[in-house]
Amino acid sequence: MIELLQNLIDGLGRGSIYALLALGVAVVFGVMHLLNFAHGELITISGYAAYAAGQQGWSWYIIAPLIVVCAVVSSLVIERVAFSRVRGESDFTLLLTSFGVHFVVSAVFLLYVSASVKTYPRPGWVTNTYSLGPLNIEVFDTVVIVVTIITLIATTMLLQRTMFGLALRAASADFDTARLMGVKSDSVIRGAFALSGLLAGIAGVFWLMRSGSTTPSAGIDPMLKGVLAALIGGLGSLRGAVLGGFALGLAEVLLRSRLPDSIASLTEGVVFVLIALLFIFRPQGLITVAHAERV
Amino acid sequence: MFPSLGRDVAFPVIGSVLLFSAFVGAGLIYQNWLGGAAERLVTVMLIDAVIVLGIQIYVGNTGVLSFGHIGFGAIAGYTFAVFAISPAEKAKRIPDAPFGLAEVDVSSTAAVLIAVLLTVAVAFVIGVGLARSGAQSGAVSATVITLALLFVTHEVARNWPELTGGERAGLFFPIGGKLDTRAPIYIALFGALVVARVYAQSRSGRLAAAAREDNLAARAMGVNPLVQQMAALLISVAVVSVGASLRVYEDGSLLPQNFFFNYTLLTLVMLIVGGRNSVTGALLGVAVMTAGRELARRLGQDGFEIFGIGLDGEPLDWVFRENLQTVFLGASMLGFMILRPSGLLGDWEFDEWLRSRFGRFRAGGRAKAAAAESRPEPLPELESVEPSVLEAHGIDVSFGGFKALSDVGLIARSGEVIGIIGPNGAGKTTMVNVITGLVEPSSGKFSLNGDDVTSTPTYRLARLGVVRTFQNLRLFAALTVRENVEVSALIAASHRQGRTLIDVDSVIAEADLWEYRDRRARELDYGNSRRLELARAAALAPSFLLLDEPTSGMSDLESAEMIEQVRHMAATVGAGVLVIDHDLNFITGVSDRIYVFDHGEVIAHGSAEEVQADPLVRAAYLGTERTV
Repeated sequence: MIELLQNLIDGLGRGSIYALLALGVAVVFGVMHLLNFAHGELITISGYAAYAAGQQGWSWYIIAPLIVVCAVVSSLVIERVAFSRVRGESDFTLLLTSFGVHFVVSAVFLLYVSASVKTYPRPGWVTNTYSLGPLNIEVFDTVVIVVTIITLIATTMLLQRTMFGLALRAASADFDTARLMGVKSDSVIRGAFALSGLLAGIAGVFWLMRSGSTTPSAGIDPMLKGVLAALIGGLGSLRGAVLGGFALGLAEVLLRSRLPDSIASLTEGVVFVLIALLFIFRPQGLITVAHAERV
Repeated sequence: MFPSLGRDVAFPVIGSVLLFSAFVGAGLIYQNWLGGAAERLVTVMLIDAVIVLGIQIYVGNTGVLSFGHIGFGAIAGYTFAVFAISPAEKAKRIPDAPFGLAEVDVSSTAAVLIAVLLTVAVAFVIGVGLARSGAQSGAVSATVITLALLFVTHEVARNWPELTGGERAGLFFPIGGKLDTRAPIYIALFGALVVARVYAQSRSGRLAAAAREDNLAARAMGVNPLVQQMAALLISVAVVSVGASLRVYEDGSLLPQNFFFNYTLLTLVMLIVGGRNSVTGALLGVAVMTAGRELARRLGQDGFEIFGIGLDGEPLDWVFRENLQTVFLGASMLGFMILRPSGLLGDWEFDEWLRSRFGRFRAGGRAKAAAAESRPEPLPELESVEPSVLEAHGIDVSFGGFKALSDVGLIARSGEVIGIIGPNGAGKTTMVNVITGLVEPSSGKFSLNGDDVTSTPTYRLARLGVVRTFQNLRLFAALTVRENVEVSALIAASHRQGRTLIDVDSVIAEADLWEYRDRRARELDYGNSRRLELARAAALAPSFLLLDEPTSGMSDLESAEMIEQVRHMAATVGAGVLVIDHDLNFITGVSDRIYVFDHGEVIAHGSAEEVQADPLVRAAYLGTERTV
């Protein structure tokens, strides 16, 4: 029971980051029907910005907001340079475009910074834990969970209470109709990328502070988590994405602690198999978004 | 199996011989020119070509983006290595291999065979999963399943050192020395080319391509896309497995990362740069990307030099750096997706070009005259057909809270033209969707010749003879007019036996599309597109032809012609016709009997006069007071 509770808290910490990443993926998918395999690159880019800032002797509390800003700006730049040019193209083209962005960004860092691991300063309390009864809780996890909850509430308010949120939700439901109703496609798509970048930035702070280092291919992992969590939740559903993020985090923690030692190192593989099975038996994900074939 | 042996087998094989010669010839010239290191580059290119052609068979024909083929390559590669390495060598590397594999001793050829069989078996299981996930062109969940496969094979390879030597050590082995001759590679490459081209022209390949272009329309023409996708997957994986085995043999070592993300990127870029829908394109992509990457690598290493003027250390130094080839790969993928997503060649196929040149040559420049001469005669109308009856009873359909149809009944017989009319939103298209299996009714029964066919899948209904056209055109855009019609003809040949089948040429001529027969469907204008939809449906020799607003967007004159064509086509195949429209004059002009829909109900039915006299219909159409 205690162990389960411990797992639950660890899973919540991990899942929070995934939820933020997945929400960013889902927001963009909603307006562009683009499954963004380049989402993780926002974290790679921010990671190198953090490295550069660290070289200047800046401390982590300046670097953290820098990461967020950097992710938003990168998201907008990538949209302008790449995704704005393939709007309305086939799903195949969109998928490979995002993969292309992913590879170009990591290759550029490989070219100009080298393949070696780069580090930057992070808060000293990252690995501290405190006890709550029989539970051992990481200070960092606590911060992550609290900030994530605040972010999710703020995002919900943004989506429910503002004109931009209304436009975004309308565009997600039916892009063409939303345009006919006067939603400006350019601004809603850019807004979606900015929001997606912001969420990736916040997730990126957690991700980067926890890992403490970055490499040219550091984006693959967060990208996979975000994309998979969004898919688990049911693409197109924002609530589903958040749910998918928490589900993925929890599943990882549970598997890691429960699998027999001999295959514990295969956790990632097992998670993948489970996800593949989920798609096979429930291709629409956990939350079904109403969708019918148009004839 | 093949619509035409000359076109679908002979020309692809001749084309493959020529392409193979050109590709290998170019490699040999380069190799003789530079010698030494270039030899290895060319060998690698030839093996890459086998693998890329393998991927093309699946991705090109089905349109499903797969990241998993290199995962299949990993499975094949490890299987091959574990079987091909001699027991003495295995005792050093992987003494604890499971299933007694450490003692197994087979020849390299047998090892390739085992690798292919095992990998194809795995592909079958994955294929079932892909089918369940609703794989179709551009489908995201299918792509993610293939991605999962890639990661899972990688994880297993890393974490199963007893079998794979693990992440660091890997498997290093001389299987019998390096490949001392390229003969096996040449054989594999030629085989891959022929298989890829012949598959694309085969029945399965054509049906898969139809589903790639429009999954829904393909199903409505009787194609079961899942079966064709599975066939494409298995053949594709077999070719990739051979390529992967060759690669392992040639490398003489195997690490998990050899068959992972980077190689996936490389092979996919090769595929899309040339044009993923074209076998010629895939081969061209391999050549272009191999050359480009080699150039980028050399530039990155040695800097830039033209006519002895070195720029090393000069202004361009910031570009010409180590790892330039990685940027080159990523930029190629991104650049092509943005500027030319269909690749260099698009749908262009070398042997098709060869065939059209050959055809023109044979016609001796009198192409037009020859074409006019061979235009088929008009088709006779059938005197009598086996009568068919289509019946629907008490059909209810609701979407959420909205009742689209309530208690709708309908009967249609062969030889009759039934009109379905009603204002927009009356439920006409929904009714057609129910009859063709696209929408499942919440209650009610629907039967064909007395057999209950409620909730029968669309493609089965089409094979039983219930065939439709679409309100918004759904042609197989990248296929030619003739190929569009051939899709139905292929289905008819295997599933509509016992009916009078009309040949492809006649039906094309009948639809006034004879001079456009080799044009791609996307190049047709609106009227011709509509006629092609009709021709495609008629070639299935349907018992019932359902036309969803066949004249929408046409002028009165065109509409009149269309009606004549519909009547004639239906008579030549002996089909009953159900035609939907909201134009009262048009419907009363063509129909023997009419059903009037309003708000999801049948408010009247009978002959044109009866319906026009009905007070409810007058109310719905003319807006007078209801007098019920």
